Amino acid sequence: MTRFPYGASAAVMAGLAVASGAYLAARRAHKPRYDLRLWTFAKTHGDAYLKMLPEFLRKHSGKSVDIQVVAGEAVTSRLQAAFWSNLDVPDLAEVEISWAGSFFRGRLESIGFRDLTERIHQTGLWERIVQARFAPYTTRGRIFGIPHDVHPVMLAYRRDLVEKLGIDVERLRTWDEFVEVGRRVTVPGKRFMMELPPEGLSALEVMLFQRGGGYFDAQGNCTLDNEIAIETMRYYAPLVAGKHRIGNDLGGGQIFTRALEDGYYLFMVAPDWRTKSIEQDVPKVAGRMALMPLPAFYPGGRRTSTWGGTMIGITKRCADPDLAWELIMHLYLNKEALAEQFRGTNILPPARDLWDHPAYDEPRPFWSNQPLGRLYANLAPETPPQYTSPYIGLAKAKLSEALIACVRYYDRYGVRGFDGFVRQQMARAAAEVRRQMRRNPYLHENA
Amino acid sequence: MKTPDTLADRAAARPDTRRRRPPRRDRLAPYLFVAPFLILFLVFGAYPLIKSVILAFYITSGPRDQVFVGLENFRFLLTDPDFWKAVRNTVVYTVWSLALQIPLGLGLAILLNSRWVKGREFFRLAFFSPNLVGQVFVGVLFSVLFVPQYGLVNRFLHATVGAPLDTRWLSEPSLIMPALILTSLWMYAGMHMVYFLAGLQTVERELYEAAQLDGANSWGQFWHVTLPGIRHVLIFVVIVSTIGSFQLFELPWVMLGRSPGPDAAGLTIVMYLYINGYVSGDLGYASAVGWTLALGLLAVSLLQLRLSEALRG
Repeated sequence: MTRFPYGASAAVMAGLAVASGAYLAARRAHKPRYDLRLWTFAKTHGDAYLKMLPEFLRKHSGKSVDIQVVAGEAVTSRLQAAFWSNLDVPDLAEVEISWAGSFFRGRLESIGFRDLTERIHQTGLWERIVQARFAPYTTRGRIFGIPHDVHPVMLAYRRDLVEKLGIDVERLRTWDEFVEVGRRVTVPGKRFMMELPPEGLSALEVMLFQRGGGYFDAQGNCTLDNEIAIETMRYYAPLVAGKHRIGNDLGGGQIFTRALEDGYYLFMVAPDWRTKSIEQDVPKVAGRMALMPLPAFYPGGRRTSTWGGTMIGITKRCADPDLAWELIMHLYLNKEALAEQFRGTNILPPARDLWDHPAYDEPRPFWSNQPLGRLYANLAPETPPQYTSPYIGLAKAKLSEALIACVRYYDRYGVRGFDGFVRQQMARAAAEVRRQMRRNPYLHENA
Repeated sequence: MKTPDTLADRAAARPDTRRRRPPRRDRLAPYLFVAPFLILFLVFGAYPLIKSVILAFYITSGPRDQVFVGLENFRFLLTDPDFWKAVRNTVVYTVWSLALQIPLGLGLAILLNSRWVKGREFFRLAFFSPNLVGQVFVGVLFSVLFVPQYGLVNRFLHATVGAPLDTRWLSEPSLIMPALILTSLWMYAGMHMVYFLAGLQTVERELYEAAQLDGANSWGQFWHVTLPGIRHVLIFVVIVSTIGSFQLFELPWVMLGRSPGPDAAGLTIVMYLYINGYVSGDLGYASAVGWTLALGLLAVSLLQLRLSEALRG
């Protein structure tokens, strides 16, 4: 190797470097290009969209769309990284409701999604969709996402066991009536009236939203220490603590399956999406399950709440936002396709005018032949808003801390001094959220 | 041919290296060879380090929105109850991990170093193997084992000591840390065992024979021969374990469902950093946390070195 000055090894290494670099460069050039690229975190969404895509492409000949399922939480971190680096940003992305707020932390012009406020009002979408569902995707008065769903909440229950225990669900109209029956039928360690986590927030949140409360108000102010939040905590903690508790929680996945099969829980909170999970995960209870509206907090009060959600947004990197908007309209508002999607996912679409399709009236054998779609659709207009903030994660953590403190207190001391303790814990939780929020110099611009 | 016999002759015979510079390509060669590493290090090592020092003085939202705040991030950090909770959890985990893992690892090593144990190779592999699969796998595995009512841990404890079946290891705040410590014990004791085994094999047999002649029993041999003989390994394991424990993240993140768990009982310093940097988007604050952790680790490691030197003295 006299021609190469530093020997054969260096020549081979240099050759390999050039060859691999050339290969990568050539491969990049052959990467297929699409007019639109959509990221979703849910495989069920991705599968449904793939079925709906051919019709869209027929209407828009010459256009191409790539739908990518990016697993779970990764879609959020990848999207955040893509926005920050301005590289590999998709044209559209679906984001889970609890993560949406994290994209709205900075200045309005720095948010990676396009502001859709004008389009939503101009196209009449504001009137068609349950308006409360825009709340989680709104910051400083501007809307950055279209809701994929409504996710009203009902109670799912083991109809066979409930009937055997002589419980008349028609008479469970308020939570007080529900709790009274629950104290009668609960056998600690063996059977609980309801799946209620003593440390987790899922059921507490549902009750908080049902009462019209939440973590934040429409202006983004923390509301963890308002009267609704305090009263909800005061009501919830005794349901999972002390001698007269009626709820417990063992966990999700296979454990939930076993617990439901064994009759460990009689009732559980069930947004529309969870009914499909129950169908898939606990097939043994098919035909023995049924649904009922949530009991109200006072006679005539709201009989539903909300749990979970997804938005779709158009990113600022999207070269053809009009085409992206048309794709959203096709995927989120196509009556026939969404009815078919409902049969596969049990998820009610967000626009009211879609709910008159016969698919929503079909009886479901798993749910004791109840018309699942109609039950949810009847409650959907009442679905409460859940306002968000970039600090939603922190607020949840603080509410969780307050819940655990209150549950421990109630376990130890019962009602003695409990009201004051709850008030003190909620005030502390809210103060810590506000302390963090005060550090953010962007949050109150254009408010 | 005349050979040089005086100093002057020898000096005259020595080649003149000052005048003859090597060719340009030979002078450049070393730089070219280190260039790939140097470029990668500068881009992916030095630049992020320097940038993170600068960022620690800003409140940020992603890399574009930045506001200079001086030492505010550090001031906020030191007054944030969540940070102190993370510090407390991390220190508790570290202390308990060291207190359990190191004696167990050493005990296993002594046992498997004995000539009387059959199938030593198999046991060495068996004890070390949990370390091969990584924290995420172990986290998933143990989150199933710790499940209430149906999990193996609760079933075993119920059958042996009558413990309640619905013990919520991963949702009752007071049980989260014991669950993490037990999991890491299963994972890391075998790795420490390998280090100690290597150390034990350097201790000379003659020293034990001499100790036996002097009348030392097993404990005496361990205390006066084994322990001093593997002191360097012990110091290494303590420092590496301390640093590893302070960097704890994946295990609780996976076991607690990508969260710090109820009451933030599984919140560690690195998890606190991750949440602030990548969930809340404040890279500036996360940088301040990272540098505080680095300085803390440096202080702890120096303290451990000093202590070990003092013990040696």
